Amino acid sequence: MRTLFNFLVKHNDWFLLLLLEGISLVLLVRFNNYQGATFFTSAGSIAGNVYSIFMDANRYFHLKKENDGLVAQNLALTRELSELKEQLTEYKNNEMLENSPIVEGISSGYNFLTATVINNSLNKVNNFITLNKGTDDGIRAEMGVFNSDGIVGVVYLASKSRALVIPLLNSKSSISCRVKGSDSFCSLSWDGGDPRYSTLIDLPRYAQFATGDTVVTSGFSSIFPGGLPVGTVEEIEDSADGMFYSVRVKLFTDFSRLTTVFLVGNDGQEEQEKLEKQVSKKGK
Amino acid sequence: MRNFLNRLKYFIILAALQTLLFGHIHLFGYATVYIYLLFILKMPRFATRNEQMMWAFALGLTVDIFGNTPGINAAAATMLAFMRNYILAMFISNGINEDLIPSTRVLRWGSYVSYAAICTLLFAFILFTLELFTFSMPLHLLLSVGSSTLLTLLFLIVFESFNGQSK
Repeated sequence: MRTLFNFLVKHNDWFLLLLLEGISLVLLVRFNNYQGATFFTSAGSIAGNVYSIFMDANRYFHLKKENDGLVAQNLALTRELSELKEQLTEYKNNEMLENSPIVEGISSGYNFLTATVINNSLNKVNNFITLNKGTDDGIRAEMGVFNSDGIVGVVYLASKSRALVIPLLNSKSSISCRVKGSDSFCSLSWDGGDPRYSTLIDLPRYAQFATGDTVVTSGFSSIFPGGLPVGTVEEIEDSADGMFYSVRVKLFTDFSRLTTVFLVGNDGQEEQEKLEKQVSKKGK
Repeated sequence: MRNFLNRLKYFIILAALQTLLFGHIHLFGYATVYIYLLFILKMPRFATRNEQMMWAFALGLTVDIFGNTPGINAAAATMLAFMRNYILAMFISNGINEDLIPSTRVLRWGSYVSYAAICTLLFAFILFTLELFTFSMPLHLLLSVGSSTLLTLLFLIVFESFNGQSK
């Protein structure tokens, strides 16, 4: 007995080794066979908590990557947002157009579009306006452009996705107008200067009107339907040769604040122009 | 007591390094660095075998718990702790009787690296045998043991070279 005890004491390290290895192997075997042994795994409370703390810290090392991802996502969302906004403006514009008092009373045969001004100038002799839509959206040259206040100009050129407009503030612009209440028509042209004013030239002297009268489109050209507001009579002068009146018109349209504009096209415009050309040819 | 706390500090540092950093690295699908062997390698020469085994078992079990390998690291580490003094004795000449902590400062580089290499190889062999013992994949075992031993040894040498220069 004593010998055995001495043997055990002398070789206690061997027994500790066997004990510890035994525990290890039991754990190993139990883990493989017994699903409930979660304490000695990372699913246990101790290791689980340490891991969750570590993961919190670890996240900081991935911030750059995460940030890049967020930036990309942000970009995509911003793009989507601006697209949606554009669509919303379009809807609003269409609604505005339908409810617009200007459009009321215009005979059928005209079709309407909306567009947004993306470039504009006021201070040159020949100003131009650029619109965000083009032939793909149904815009073509010679369409009339107006907004909720009054007329703006005429489409000069249209590319696939953009259109160039000659506004009233351009020396090339010439719009057929008349003073409301009088039947005599004349043309509106601009000679530079103040962008709030334009001039009616060649107004016959027999026309009856006074300052403050409203000037509207005549409807004789194929561009604008008749009756669209242009401005008010501000000042009446004699023309240089004394045969006509020259009328200074205060424009309704504020060209410095153009955003949304409407376009009007005449379904029979080409036909009308063709006809007019033929007539003028025959006349020669 | 101070000795104990000091050792506990290294215990925690190495356990954290192993479980949170090195345990997640499996180079080429085979090689893992077992940096926590440093703890066992750096035990004082005259620490009792039981003491060494207890520490090694605790450390191995900690690594196991975090690595979801219950018993495997504990078994291998305990066995290494048991064998370590025999291995160390091979590299210490008979004339030296003082207590010492194995390092390149008290052993020659060659001796220390050999000591570390044998310890790591023994540990890796037990570890991967236990881990893979349900699979009969000798090639896989060989690759795992070999690559892990080499990689761990590399880290141990790097550690040793820094540690040697600092003092």
